[in-house]
Amino acid sequence: MEERKSLIKIKPKSYKDGEIVKVNFMVMHPMETGMRKDKKTKELVPANYVNSIKFVYNGKTITNMTVWESVSANPVFTTYMKIEGQGDLTVTYTDSTGEVHEQSIKIKPKG
Amino acid sequence: MQRRDFFKTLGTAAVVGATIPVMSFAAETKKKGPNAFTYEQALDVITGGKKPVKSDKVHLKVPEIAENGAVVPVTVEVDSPMTDSDYVKAIHIFATKNNNVRCIDANLTPANGKAMLSTRVKLGGTQDVAALIELSNGEFLIAAQSVKVTIGGCG
Repeated sequence: MEERKSLIKIKPKSYKDGEIVKVNFMVMHPMETGMRKDKKTKELVPANYVNSIKFVYNGKTITNMTVWESVSANPVFTTYMKIEGQGDLTVTYTDSTGEVHEQSIKIKPKG
Repeated sequence: MQRRDFFKTLGTAAVVGATIPVMSFAAETKKKGPNAFTYEQALDVITGGKKPVKSDKVHLKVPEIAENGAVVPVTVEVDSPMTDSDYVKAIHIFATKNNNVRCIDANLTPANGKAMLSTRVKLGGTQDVAALIELSNGEFLIAAQSVKVTIGGCG
């Protein structure tokens, strides 16, 4: 299985409790639509796209996304989030082939 | 526009990046994918027959002219207090003429603090990009903007 890289970025880098911050989630994923033909073999490349993304912060689901193949390759998803104390932000994504990946970072508010 | 051309070009763009798009105009009968339904049908499925209202509260940011149809940034922002009693429940983004019109559904909660969703979509050609907003009181808001796709997406 090919390893997929993913990354969570929080802007601004330092934040206080109760602040609303931007959350950037990026995945390296080909997002194949299943309609593209391989140039050499002339066969259809099977569909393989991210179809669900879940943002969980301290055990609470904050955003839940359903994604279809119309989203670009190597997608980036940006939303906002309210900081409520220390904890983990975990992003889980599933793709249409059934692969499940998880990425998490620690949330440490200052002050 | 043929779907075949669209995906062929898309694929090229996705793999090699900004290379010259390959275009062929061979006729091919249209196949319907599992998610193939029109924009109006997709709207109906989500709203349940309710009519969405055009509103100034929804800020849809899409480039008017997209050079590369494979990567079109879309940002949707909604003016909402995001409290427990009044918040944005969901943001849906549609590409009205793509094979699969639905791009992304995001279910938000008051924990988001701000109703915003930003991502990048593929567009098969010049078309409208629409954002449907579901509020916690059951109302639906809509915003749409046309995007001119020059190369990459379809040609």
